Amino acid sequence: MFVFALAVVFKLCTIQFVDGDKYRAMAQKRSVRAFDIPANRGNVYSADGSLLATSIPKYNIGIDAVTSSNKNFNKYIKPLCDSLSVFTGKSSGSIEKKITKARNTKDQYLLLLKNLSYSEFVRVRDFPLFKLGSIRGGFVYDQTTKREHPLGGIAERSIGYERKDENNYYTRVGIDGAFGKDYLRGKNGRRLKQKIGKGEWKPIRDVNEVEPQNGYDIYTTIDVNVQDIAHHSLLGQLEKYEAEHGCVVVMDVKTGEIKAISNLGRNREGKYYERLNYAVGESHEPGSTFKVMVMMAALEDKVIDTSTVVDTKNGRKRFYGRDINDSGAGHGKISAAKALEVSSNIGLATIIDDNYKDKPLKFLNRLYSWRLNDTLGVSIIGEGIPDIPKPGDEIWSKNALPSIAYGYNMKLTPLQTLAFYNAIANDGQLIKPRFLRAVKEFDRDIEVFEKEVLVDKICSDQTLFKIKDILKNIVVRGTGKKLYSETFSMAGKTGTARTDYGDYDAWLKDRKYVSSFAGYFPAENPKYSCIVVIHKPSTKVGFYGADVSGPVFKRIAQKIYTDTPLIDEMQSVEFNNPQVVQDFEKFNSISNKYKTIMPNLVGLPAMDAVAFLENMEVKVKVKVNGSGVVTSQSISKDIKLKFNQTIVLEAS
Amino acid sequence: MIASAHSADKKVFEISRLSDEVKDLRSAFVDGRSKLMRLKMESTIIKKVEEKGLETSKVPPRKIKIIAQD
Repeated sequence: MFVFALAVVFKLCTIQFVDGDKYRAMAQKRSVRAFDIPANRGNVYSADGSLLATSIPKYNIGIDAVTSSNKNFNKYIKPLCDSLSVFTGKSSGSIEKKITKARNTKDQYLLLLKNLSYSEFVRVRDFPLFKLGSIRGGFVYDQTTKREHPLGGIAERSIGYERKDENNYYTRVGIDGAFGKDYLRGKNGRRLKQKIGKGEWKPIRDVNEVEPQNGYDIYTTIDVNVQDIAHHSLLGQLEKYEAEHGCVVVMDVKTGEIKAISNLGRNREGKYYERLNYAVGESHEPGSTFKVMVMMAALEDKVIDTSTVVDTKNGRKRFYGRDINDSGAGHGKISAAKALEVSSNIGLATIIDDNYKDKPLKFLNRLYSWRLNDTLGVSIIGEGIPDIPKPGDEIWSKNALPSIAYGYNMKLTPLQTLAFYNAIANDGQLIKPRFLRAVKEFDRDIEVFEKEVLVDKICSDQTLFKIKDILKNIVVRGTGKKLYSETFSMAGKTGTARTDYGDYDAWLKDRKYVSSFAGYFPAENPKYSCIVVIHKPSTKVGFYGADVSGPVFKRIAQKIYTDTPLIDEMQSVEFNNPQVVQDFEKFNSISNKYKTIMPNLVGLPAMDAVAFLENMEVKVKVKVNGSGVVTSQSISKDIKLKFNQTIVLEAS
Repeated sequence: MIASAHSADKKVFEISRLSDEVKDLRSAFVDGRSKLMRLKMESTIIKKVEEKGLETSKVPPRKIKIIAQD
């Protein structure tokens, strides 16, 4: 017996002291675990504080078809399926079939509904059977966090998202993607927890091992109202012209803030939605909108003036073995300014070829000094790379110079073109388009973004004055005259460029164009610059920049114009009509004196008499017969009035 | 010792319940906010009042500002 006891004690000691560490470690491993505490991703806001992107829980709902009792199951299955049928639009019978089958095959989890919002979740949770809870009713749900855009499809691509795949590779789209790493993501925390009952874990220490840091909120420059209008007017034009895709960007002239950016592309079903960020990413031959830069270079170099005469012939001119055409029958001999107003390809090609063919670099360096051959370095990832070739480059040829003069044989993105037009509107200061105003943690500013100047002054004031005048006239009487409005002013340049013309014969059969409009408004003291680019409109409906893209521009300009109140200032005028003063004083003296006692109202206008009585401290009812001057009153003067008494006034 | 451990456990359950509630309320908030944002957008309003024969103004509102004379 004693030996046994000794053996037990010996074993006890071995477990406790010899193997103790090993077992303790094992026990801890099983019941202690390090948990990641996910940091909340920051929100993305518009300039006025509307939510553009946020993380919210979404719910998947399933049913454990086995757990409920036969009695409950049979009683509630029909009403449950009816409710689900109303909710999903599927037939009640088919849902019932599925659930019954799951019950027969002892399926403990049948997924019924996916990605429900909270309010939908609450609705479903109260359905018959589900109401009984998870054990008796078999209601099973799980919750995931989804990034949500409250604006829906509007500006979705520019607001963007950030997604991590299983290889930890991030897909980063738009603003949300661009600022994810630095601001939005935050840092996950870590905490050791010990297992307790009900599948719950209890923290071991009362502080986290590593505290999570929630992501910062970012405030963008997007103006929801302008964005809304930009999106819908672009959508309307794309649908009308059955175009392939298009984009619109609105920029604040003085600060470079992007007020709206919309990119819509057509899917196979012919519906439009935000597919790619064309405005930022797609560099293409801009066509005629580039003539403005070209004209400015020539004006700034003083090789021409706006009045210099240029011969545009009869709509066709040969350059180095290749014809350049103008639309229509040609414009003959016109001034340089007129050549830009009517957007003559020959006009611009002639000006540039005549003056720069021996020294193309002089012209090109001017364009380069305006940073037209550099990316803007905007925060959204994937900016398209511009390309304006120079001698020696692969795409340089004798024809390159006259081609560049009207926006071909080179590439720019819509945003790069817009930044330049914005510089014209901004007295020559080229600033970087930006999407962010501030990064905040609650109300505290973490970082505030200011405007970034790229080129302080692109050209002389004389050149600016001349080009602004031409841009204004384009809308008044040039290629953009359909857009002219008497009530508000705008200035800009149309563009209708051929695209996909590599195989010219194929192009002739199915003509594809890029229609654009770039400019600013109001023409005097510009506040906003804007570009609209629409790719491949159906030529059956129309393809000119002024028809396809111009109306989007105009709608936005008009919207901003009608939202800004006109202020008429006027000097206050003092009337001094003795009759009015006298009447007023009489009225005043009576109403100050009689508060509970009936005044003499005979001889007063009925309108005034009623006002007296209604302003008394005693509440009375007033009846008036007639509408002129009071001739008699039912209660005599100086009688004390009673509550709710009716007074009848006779008036002429 | 045991009592306080149990009370700690209870608090853990309470915290987990409350954090679920926070998630729910947050989700309800964003839900409502999204709905509101879509409803208050000008394009939605234009569509809604169209049937009543209303449309957006072509001219901006006019403010009359009176400068007081002293």
